[in-house]
Amino acid sequence: MTTWKEQLADQIPETMGILIDTYEAQIELRKQGKLDEKVFAEQRLRKGAYGQRYDNGQRHDGVQTRQLSYPSGELVKGPDTLWDAPGMQRIKIPYGGLTARQLEVLSELADEYADGILHITTRQDIQLHYVHIDDTPDLMRRLAAVGITTQEACGNSVRNITACTLAGVCHDEVFDVSPYAEAMTQFLLGHDDVQDFGRKFKVAFSGCAGHACGLVKMHDLGLLAQTRDVDGEIVRGFTVFVGGGLGTVPHQAKVLVDFCSEEQLLPLTQAVSRVFARLGEKKNRNRARIKFLVAKLGIDEFRRLVQEELETVPHDDRHTAYLDSLGDFTYEPAKAGMSLNGTAMPDGFANWYQTNVYHQAQHGYSAITLHLPLGDFTAQQGFHLADIARRFVGDNIRLSVEQNIVLRWVADADLPAIYRELHAIGMGDAGAGTIVDITTCPGTDTCKLGIASSRGLTAELRTRLIERINLLPDAVRELKIKVSGCFNSCGQHHVADIGFFGNSRRSGNHKMPHFQVVLGGQWHENAGSYGLAVGAAPAKRVPDVLEALTNRYVAERAEDESFQSWVKDLGRKAIKAMLQPYMQLPSFDDQPEYFSDWGDSRVYTIDDIGVGECAGEVVSLFSLEIAKAESTHFEALLALDDGNFHLADEQAYKAMVLAARALVRTKYLDVGDDYDNIVNEFRSRFYDTELVYDRFAKGKFARYLFKRHDQIPNRVNEDYAHQMMDETQLFIENIHTAEQRINGVIVS
Amino acid sequence: MTIVPKRLAVKFNLKREPRIQPDDLAPIFQRWIQEHTVDGMLIDVIDYKHVPEGPGVILIADEGDYGYDLSDGQIGLQYIRKRDLPDNLPDALRLTFRQALSAARQLESEAPGDLAFDYLSAKITFLDRMRYRNTSERFDELHDEISSALSGIYGASVRLERCYDDPRFNFALRSTVNGDLPADDVVEGLTKNLTPV
Ligand code: SF4
Repeated sequence: MTTWKEQLADQIPETMGILIDTYEAQIELRKQGKLDEKVFAEQRLRKGAYGQRYDNGQRHDGVQTRQLSYPSGELVKGPDTLWDAPGMQRIKIPYGGLTARQLEVLSELADEYADGILHITTRQDIQLHYVHIDDTPDLMRRLAAVGITTQEACGNSVRNITACTLAGVCHDEVFDVSPYAEAMTQFLLGHDDVQDFGRKFKVAFSGCAGHACGLVKMHDLGLLAQTRDVDGEIVRGFTVFVGGGLGTVPHQAKVLVDFCSEEQLLPLTQAVSRVFARLGEKKNRNRARIKFLVAKLGIDEFRRLVQEELETVPHDDRHTAYLDSLGDFTYEPAKAGMSLNGTAMPDGFANWYQTNVYHQAQHGYSAITLHLPLGDFTAQQGFHLADIARRFVGDNIRLSVEQNIVLRWVADADLPAIYRELHAIGMGDAGAGTIVDITTCPGTDTCKLGIASSRGLTAELRTRLIERINLLPDAVRELKIKVSGCFNSCGQHHVADIGFFGNSRRSGNHKMPHFQVVLGGQWHENAGSYGLAVGAAPAKRVPDVLEALTNRYVAERAEDESFQSWVKDLGRKAIKAMLQPYMQLPSFDDQPEYFSDWGDSRVYTIDDIGVGECAGEVVSLFSLEIAKAESTHFEALLALDDGNFHLADEQAYKAMVLAARALVRTKYLDVGDDYDNIVNEFRSRFYDTELVYDRFAKGKFARYLFKRHDQIPNRVNEDYAHQMMDETQLFIENIHTAEQRINGVIVS
Repeated sequence: MTIVPKRLAVKFNLKREPRIQPDDLAPIFQRWIQEHTVDGMLIDVIDYKHVPEGPGVILIADEGDYGYDLSDGQIGLQYIRKRDLPDNLPDALRLTFRQALSAARQLESEAPGDLAFDYLSAKITFLDRMRYRNTSERFDELHDEISSALSGIYGASVRLERCYDDPRFNFALRSTVNGDLPADDVVEGLTKNLTPV
């Protein structure tokens, strides 16, 4: 029987294929109980395979908490995360850029492995929900065959690198940041210096300071395009921001470097990563983001450390190699640009044109936004959209941080035709970027940490606002609403005019879903300032809260006064007084409907909250590296079973080198991938010093590695391959014991 | 023997537009979880009614999902079997039909007179592009085996046609009972034929 692995063998880049094979081997090892659950969880998360609500095997059904007895019983894919429980697969789409073919494959995966829906996140990723972990290797292979990786989509790693959706077509940009985002994605993916973070690391690029698109000030690392006149020549570079972030305690990023030249961009990023990996918090995940390190050290000291580190960053051709191919990064429109002249306009076109069309810097072209409800679209819409893209724009598709799709390079003359076609597939809604275009995180629908139903509330607000959109004054229509299911801010509520995040309150003996109201955040100027929390209202009263706020804003605002400035002038106290009537808690007997969340008929409970995986597992670098050696050894065993003795020998040798590397990297991070280097460093640091010596066998196990490294076998027969397997196993065990002894974890 | 697909779905469409709204479905499915009304290990309800012609409202279960499905502009009850399919196609179809039928009957009882499914016709979707490419050749290869399995299920001959020509779409078939058989008789036969022995 053919498998996806066989069928796609020629289409999957070798390095991606190896990573997926290794992951599949780890799945097998975990099933056999041979891989620690925490180590596996971190490996899984780094592949973007995330947990989902109820995966701890418990669900409150509105009456009582019930056990969910999955067929794999007690087998777990991480602490408290049952094997068979459906999970979420996050798929990185660097700067949101997609081709038509990639969109088709994503759509295929949505209906074969998930629930038929593709969800766009606030990091320009795609997420599929209700995916079984056993399906993830094939899912990843199918993505890899079209150039998409899920590697490092979750866990303590560099997450999807985002950039302005309009990069390359915007009137106000300094230059197109897309190729830089691409270069950084490629450079950091799997880089040794980004494997030992205590938490995730988010990077964003922006083409200008004034607009919101790149949101660089709310990122761990933000890169803002700049140019400088150097000796009469205009050179490109970036203002580098560091230590921003939302989460429970939002931080505005600080300027690390006013101007970093494009040649220095990657080395500087590498230096920042090394400082973060070395000095960032590892034990307390609540303080492990880089923003806490920057706050603790102060930006000046952090800057000094980065400069110092920069001196030690080893030379790497890749630091500047990408600059030679910047000119190759071009866009191929499907059609010649032409203005919109005299074409008949379909019904609804005028409204859509007003809110969803952006005239590009390139004459005769527009970028159009497909305003998606809750960031969702179906697999079938995906196929149809791929057709539309091919016909009108080619591969110029981007996902936006506002959970929409943007098609760029639409010839203006085609706008009515493309609107008609989008409308026919349910993707022609007007209102992009307006108050009805609400951003929301998954909340209690699927997130283990969700406290209230952000999607339920968003759906409700959206329905009500769409009904009245034509009656709303412009000042209200332009407001931004963002909703998170808890304080973790995945819905980016801090940077909305009106933000909400889920929490709960008690009334009598019952809990009631609530939303904290956060007002006056700034989306513009790259998320220039964060909003003020003014109090929490029961979830069912939030639509009334919204109406009260917007009515009063319209009634009282000075001409052209922004919502931020109105909120600031009015003050927290007055706003709280205004909202007070909506914050009262009725009793369960009086108003039972308040004790259910939006879109959920169950009596509300927070008993379903699980332990989140957003942070990933804090697993030592050694554990991660040795896990790679173990899974490679496992692949060697499979090759042996298949009678492929040569491959078995090669894999076993590789496993030994990887194990040695795992130990070397605890002392010397930059050892690299060269086998000679690794073996030499291992010999001088651990063998000559007798640090790996076993109490009885002395240096025998290490010599297995030296023997194989020094002499490639002439003939590999079954006996030899068997012996290699045993020696590799003993060597890996020896490395484990040595690491525990050297790093003082367990001594017994 | 034909290899069974990774996932297999059966959908019965409603005969007419109901008064009940998609909004009403989540509470029904939530209650089904509480009362364990349908087979399977019932996990969660997810609501996608905001997506045009989408999967609607889904009751997620470990073995297979029950959906109040809005795709193709047709409201219906769809059961998607995700795991533990029998290892031969006729039995896999039988199992999936049985679950779909029993959920559809259950749903009808929630709104008697309003919700009525057309059991003489079904959409069968093979969610497995590796083994079931949506091509006319594949249809020709599988036609006789599927139609004979369905005749066994219905106790009457059936007509098969492909739902989509687009090769990127799932391999999906519409089966329709041939002739002018009384609907009640067909449903009775269907129920009888699908009852586990
Ligand atoms: S904000 Fe909270 S509920 Fe929403 S996705 Fe993040 S952790 Fe989950």
